[in-house]
Amino acid sequence: MSLAMFRVMVLDLWRDRPALVMTFLLPSVVFLIFSSVFSGATGLDVKLKIAVADLARTPASERLAKAFLADPNLRAERVRPQTLAAVREAVRSGRADAGFVIRSDPGAPGTPLVILADPSRAVAAPLTEARAREVLQQATPDVLLARTVRDLHPAIGDLTADQRDNVAIAVEQLAQNPKLQPAIAPLFEHDEVAEAKRGGAAIAYYAGAVTILFSMFAATHGALTLIDERRSGIADRILAGRAGMGPVVTGKFLFLIAQGAAQAAVIFATAQIVYQVPTLQHLGLWSVTTAATAAAAGGLALGLVALCRTREQAQMLSTFVILILAAIGGSMVPRFLMPPWLQDLGWWTPHAWVIDAYQGLLWRDEGAAALYKAWIVLAAIGLGGFTAAQVAARRIRS
Amino acid sequence: MTPGQSGPVLTVSDVRHAFGPRKVLKGVSLEVRAGEIYALLGPNGAGKTTLVRAICGRLRPASGAVRVVGRDPYSEGEARAALGLAPQALALYPQLTVAENLEAFAALAGLKGRHAADAVRRAMALTRIDERAGSLVRVLSGGFQRRVNIAAAIVAGPKLLVLDEPTVGVDLAAREAVSEALRQLRASGVATLLVTHDLEQAGALADRVAILREGEKVLEGDPALLIAEAFGAQMEVEVDVGDIGDGGAERLSGEGLEPGPIPGAWTCFAADGYVFAGRLAERLQAAGVEVLEVRVRRPSLQHLFARFADTRRAA
Repeated sequence: MSLAMFRVMVLDLWRDRPALVMTFLLPSVVFLIFSSVFSGATGLDVKLKIAVADLARTPASERLAKAFLADPNLRAERVRPQTLAAVREAVRSGRADAGFVIRSDPGAPGTPLVILADPSRAVAAPLTEARAREVLQQATPDVLLARTVRDLHPAIGDLTADQRDNVAIAVEQLAQNPKLQPAIAPLFEHDEVAEAKRGGAAIAYYAGAVTILFSMFAATHGALTLIDERRSGIADRILAGRAGMGPVVTGKFLFLIAQGAAQAAVIFATAQIVYQVPTLQHLGLWSVTTAATAAAAGGLALGLVALCRTREQAQMLSTFVILILAAIGGSMVPRFLMPPWLQDLGWWTPHAWVIDAYQGLLWRDEGAAALYKAWIVLAAIGLGGFTAAQVAARRIRS
Repeated sequence: MTPGQSGPVLTVSDVRHAFGPRKVLKGVSLEVRAGEIYALLGPNGAGKTTLVRAICGRLRPASGAVRVVGRDPYSEGEARAALGLAPQALALYPQLTVAENLEAFAALAGLKGRHAADAVRRAMALTRIDERAGSLVRVLSGGFQRRVNIAAAIVAGPKLLVLDEPTVGVDLAAREAVSEALRQLRASGVATLLVTHDLEQAGALADRVAILREGEKVLEGDPALLIAEAFGAQMEVEVDVGDIGDGGAERLSGEGLEPGPIPGAWTCFAADGYVFAGRLAERLQAAGVEVLEVRVRRPSLQHLFARFADTRRAA
């Protein structure tokens, strides 16, 4: 009997093309958008938009400003008018991620450079400073040399006349040809790890986050048929028979698990093809995690819908619950960006467990010993919702 | 098998039920036998829906008993297994084909494999929908959808078929197809409880009718006998009048006519109807009443219903 309902649900979905697209195509598209946004945000390929003003108007400041504006790693633009207030306004209004102001001649004593950044864009200021240091090094090495010699004075005392002449010549030559700068042993070496998981943790994170988010949406859509059946009289017809609604609810639950698993397969296939997330390499444990995830979404959706009398109530309640759980559980914003109390609260949602399980499996290479807790929690959520739906189905008999 | 030959498939004995202070069923008793079509009539609020819910095991009546094949449908699955319900709404999956719908309901009733396939074929043949077996239900006409609705109710081979307004919103051809299917089911020994407002269909099909009014059964029996008993040799005479002039209403009432539901139409019952109608028209015209049309009709279930179901007129 349950298989009959399973078949009804499969045929119903197969012939509902918009629902089919929403269920299997949209999640992959959203996953690709999320992963490209969030994996990019942690890398060096972020091109910050910088508002630039040169208040000093000296030859050195002009060279620095020009080099900064020409830096291909930035989207720097000179503000009009060239004032500190104009730069501040550009950052405040969000037209620029950060501001770069040359307050006085870079070679003169004091603090000639100012970086302005919105405190809510935590990475903007350090990234701008790092780019500014590199531009200074490349475009105005003479200024840096002169500043370094002056900064060393307290430690090494006065230079001899010859040394002063040599420094003056070096500064002069570097000013004319910055590429002549002496070889300085670099402090850091950049090692590109060839076999590193591309996009890494953020990709695995968002594959899990999008899976549980859309699993919930699709499961709710499927569970709403319980109300449609009540409204259309199908429930009356079935309840007038021997079996009642029990097998109907069971058939729907099995379908929602299968639907959730198929949906996850599409998302993780995309992740494997585009970002080389090693899903196939962990197929066994991935299957268990996916089944637990789909069961949690299916059970929860059935339980929520069973609480409601009308389609409108069910849609409102499920949308509310799905969005709240997604926001707290980390399907919208990465959990590591949340305050600690919100991260703790997240463990009361299936989303946090799903995301952690997939990340553990596909990023940290964890085994069953580390994943079993998530499986138990997710299966318990699924069975809890399923049981509530069964109890409610018995109640609608009268 | 002829109607009324076998024992009762459905027995309702002195069933009473109330929702809060409102008494919905006040001691209703009835029986439906194998191979019988029993029409349950009554105005809105008479208690028909509550009675159907009790018969289908959806509600335990406050007192009295409901038995389907001798068992309580509320507590015994065997009783419900012998019952097929075609609700008033189209209780079908619109995205599935006719055959897929019937296969689903056959499976949900516990039929498997070849038995299920045979049951689906039989139900489609009986309701004459086999030519549309592969069509999606949502693209069918209203008449075909109604037939599929009945086919889904009979697919599991019920002993008692409960039909709630089976011909609502269908054209004459579709109604005749539904009626024909019900006759065939009767011939195969199925007991049918037909809850309807379609008095014409009930009159043409039902072996017995009952009228429920305010939770009580006020009339039961063979419709032809009940009509004969209520009206004898009387015929309904209906007069359409135009300008009735001053004192016309009193004149019409004085002739024993009552205003009908349609403005300008007055009716009465009279023996020797055609002769009475001719003389009545002459008298009215002589009295200055403009007579547009006079109709004479043999009383039908509709007249019986109007007399017994209408609280005001019955009083």
